[in-house]
Amino acid sequence: MTIGGIPLAGFLTAMLAAGLVAAAPLVLAALGEAVGERSGLLNLGIEGMMLSGAFFGFTAAYLTGSAVWGVLAGIAAGSLLGTLFAVLTVSLRVDQVLVGLAITIFGAGLTAFLYRDVFGGQNPSLSLDTSRIAIPGLSQIPIIGDAMFNQSLLFYIAFALVPVFAFVLARTRFGLQVRAVGAYPFAADAAGVNVTRIRYQAALIAGAMAGVAGAFLSVADLKIFQIGMTVGTGFIALALTMVGGWNPYRILLAAILFGLLRSLGNGLQIIGVNVRTEFITMLPYIGIMVALALLAGKTSLPAALGVPYARGRR
Amino acid sequence: MTRALSPSRFAPLLTSLAAIAAALVLGGIFLALRGKDPLAAYGVLVSRGLGTSYGITETLIRMAPLLIVSAGLLVSLRSGVWNIGIDGQLLVGALLAGVAGAAIAGQVPNPVMWLIAALAGMAGGLLWALVPGILRVRWGLNEIITTLMMNYVALNVTSWLVKGPVKDPDVVPPQTRLISREMRLPDVAGTGVHVGLLVGLVVVVLVTILFRHTVIGFMLDVVGRNRQAAIHAGMPVNRLTLVALLASGAMAGLAGANDILGVKGLFQGNWNPGYGFAAFALVYLARLNSLWLIPFAYFLSFLVIGGEMMARPLGIPTYFVEMLEGLMLLCFAVAAWVERMRSPYARAEEVETGPANAGEPPGPLISEPLLEPVARVAGGPS
Repeated sequence: MTIGGIPLAGFLTAMLAAGLVAAAPLVLAALGEAVGERSGLLNLGIEGMMLSGAFFGFTAAYLTGSAVWGVLAGIAAGSLLGTLFAVLTVSLRVDQVLVGLAITIFGAGLTAFLYRDVFGGQNPSLSLDTSRIAIPGLSQIPIIGDAMFNQSLLFYIAFALVPVFAFVLARTRFGLQVRAVGAYPFAADAAGVNVTRIRYQAALIAGAMAGVAGAFLSVADLKIFQIGMTVGTGFIALALTMVGGWNPYRILLAAILFGLLRSLGNGLQIIGVNVRTEFITMLPYIGIMVALALLAGKTSLPAALGVPYARGRR
Repeated sequence: MTRALSPSRFAPLLTSLAAIAAALVLGGIFLALRGKDPLAAYGVLVSRGLGTSYGITETLIRMAPLLIVSAGLLVSLRSGVWNIGIDGQLLVGALLAGVAGAAIAGQVPNPVMWLIAALAGMAGGLLWALVPGILRVRWGLNEIITTLMMNYVALNVTSWLVKGPVKDPDVVPPQTRLISREMRLPDVAGTGVHVGLLVGLVVVVLVTILFRHTVIGFMLDVVGRNRQAAIHAGMPVNRLTLVALLASGAMAGLAGANDILGVKGLFQGNWNPGYGFAAFALVYLARLNSLWLIPFAYFLSFLVIGGEMMARPLGIPTYFVEMLEGLMLLCFAVAAWVERMRSPYARAEEVETGPANAGEPPGPLISEPLLEPVARVAGGPS
């Protein structure tokens, strides 16, 4: 059986693979954002951090010829901006939305400026040896095998981090402290938790994960950088964090559904269903709003989300 | 401390000026690190942006949409509503204005056409703000995410419309029918600046009157400063929130119409001026004071126009100005903290309980719990 001239099995594999590859950077960014929001930090700078991760990751990989250095540079860029976010919102207690937007604007301007300045008018692409890693046995499973178990290393890491984050948030001392700081910082402080330190660590994790997610886009997936290439992916990750109720497994589910929604649109086009590209690209954004509306009131927010903490102040 | 106890009403302005100065210095250091001469760059910026009539004319033309957009954003921020969907609202407004204007151009007197196109633009922006507005007041969904998402929906919807249903069939590129130059907004006598600038100034004055002299403006301010107090005072908080968001969307749409009627004459598929981020910088630098928007709008559009003119001779990408806007906001964050630390409330605030906004300028600089509407739905709507 064929579909649009492609064997059905191959078509399904391609769709699934595209959906999962679209989900991976969202999972990475949203996991970091979940830790940040659990600690009470709403990071609207995530878009700028992702773009910075994408640009610096791309540039480092381009200059060194190594994907590993690219990813590390992406992490470093995200971490730096995450630290900046923490300094301004935790220590200086400036409004988180203002600081987040400022970082997003700054990141967009900085990466666009540097891309033009460093690469001139050229749009180079990476010629990296990021060979796919086929997992023996599993990658032979029909249809899903090639999509799920024949991917880049960073792809596996993204999904492997889900249980790690779930464990850390739910079962470790650090996770408990993060949740306490986000739910009731005054009690956490009284119990001896260093609110400032925990929030700095959470912001650092959120920034680093956004940086990796950006590097995934430019280094592992597309192998190019484009000005403004994230087109709201960071904001989508932020929304998915809320849709997933700050639970890593539910975030994973939401991200995969979201990725499949995106690849479904492309799939429809390939098989010749006459849908305009614009409708397909806007589906995910509408999907997010619908999901949030359906879930409204069913999830409980970290109580201190968005509220700066000052010892002794109410 | 005595000096600080009676702060000048211009003290907040100093904070903004310090932030701008710091951002320019940081930007200059950045240029120097990239092997460019910052003094030459800023020199060109000033000499071309302020020293040439072309620079001044272009700056004033660019000021008009910035004024309208930021006046709208100011209304929403003063009311504690985060309208981050300015760009989408502007696009939809511009498209509708372009379609409506071209449809009736030449068949009705020009002023009537302008009025109808402007109303169409406002309707478009309002419509685009209505979705997040309803989601907020009916389902308690925070408007930050929804207005952001609506931006991307707007990009796609306008791109589709302009390629299909409303495309000018006589030309190849995706664009609406052209409103010919003689039917566009006339220039202010003796200048090359179209009258949209006057519209922008009128909008700013109207917003000033709204907040200084009307009951609804007062209520919006109360909602923005302390939502709980507004609820306890029996104000229709949900309706006020919706009004603020819709007004701000309508103004974004009007700014879109302004660019179509005054500058472009048509809506193009790939056009996305991205005034929204500039408006954020603008409103904060103006300390949420509507009249101060005017000088800061001039300054920001001077930067944009000067940045465009600086690009070619010095090889500095125009994105430098966008980076500066981000830097200004970041520096503003630091400067606002310094200002708070110097204020007489600061010390007291550290030890005893006080209002969350004590010592703060009006508006949501230090916010109440951001997503509280969602949380409140869980425990019953207000």
